[in-house]
Amino acid sequence: MRVSRRIALAAGLLAISLAAQAAAPAIGSAAPDFSLTTLDGKTFSLAQAAKSHKAVVVMFIATKCPYSNAYNDRMRDMAAAYEKQGVLFVGINSNKTEPAEEVASHAKQHGFAFPLMKDPENKVADLYDARHTPEIYVVDPQGKLVYHGRIDENYEDPAHVASPDLKDALNQLLAGKAIAKAETKAFGCSIKRV
Amino acid sequence: MLEYAAGAQSSRLAGEVDAKGLHDVVARQKGRVVLVNFWATWCIPCREEFPVLVKLQKQLAARGLQVVGVSTDFAREMKDVERFLGEQNPDFPNYHKKAGGDDQDFINAIDPSWGGELPFSVLYDRAGKKVKTLSGKHSYADYEREITSALK
Repeated sequence: MRVSRRIALAAGLLAISLAAQAAAPAIGSAAPDFSLTTLDGKTFSLAQAAKSHKAVVVMFIATKCPYSNAYNDRMRDMAAAYEKQGVLFVGINSNKTEPAEEVASHAKQHGFAFPLMKDPENKVADLYDARHTPEIYVVDPQGKLVYHGRIDENYEDPAHVASPDLKDALNQLLAGKAIAKAETKAFGCSIKRV
Repeated sequence: MLEYAAGAQSSRLAGEVDAKGLHDVVARQKGRVVLVNFWATWCIPCREEFPVLVKLQKQLAARGLQVVGVSTDFAREMKDVERFLGEQNPDFPNYHKKAGGDDQDFINAIDPSWGGELPFSVLYDRAGKKVKTLSGKHSYADYEREITSALK
């Protein structure tokens, strides 16, 4: 094979492997590790957090998305309730249009007591192929991804949720059962990437 | 030409659709390239991108493009939908996603690679085959490149 064709083939293979890395991690596979600085200056490491908790719930959220905001109270309440069971909720803001100060004041306004972090240049969002807000990834103590998707099916009316998918997943995980619905979807605001 | 009453007095929407209904709409367009765009009035990048869709339809209709918009707004937001369409005045039909059922069934029926993010577009070739999906807001140049490739 001529050198130029070999280079072209290698470039093609590299492009394919890079593209493959961009897809969402599969349920049951290792959740990609990452470290981010929280709004109060601490370092959050997914691998460390997973080891020391019954589960880590990674939430990609926004300040200005009505879909994400419809879940503010549910996120706040679930985080508080599940903390008692050893589950850590964290919020990640990957939107280039929403600066740290805005994320902080939004959190204060809505009573978020869980760690929050900006995701500069949406690197973690890319690692997880997170598409919109809100979008949830649950990681077990072995660092495996066990749930990916929505909080529930009813953004409009928290009092009439028919499918509390995240709660079900967490309850099943905590009870040592298999998660029945590990992948769910919902509409949401696309993440404002760089 | 897609049956569409331009300047209809009562509603600017062409109808309500579920996933099957939308596939029927696309199938009726065989011979034309169809760009289906999912949007909502509460989705800011959707609103920012909409004029691009209006321009695409104007510029490329003669070459065989048919844009089809689908609002995923809730029933209580229909006044906002009508107002938005009135402001934008598109030359292409916009449908409203039927209420009821689980959204994820709709999302998966449209495309399994769609995570539910808005805006989201699906491009079908002249044979009605899905050839491309575009996630998030895109520029006129991005859409034009994909569309003209399918128009051949």
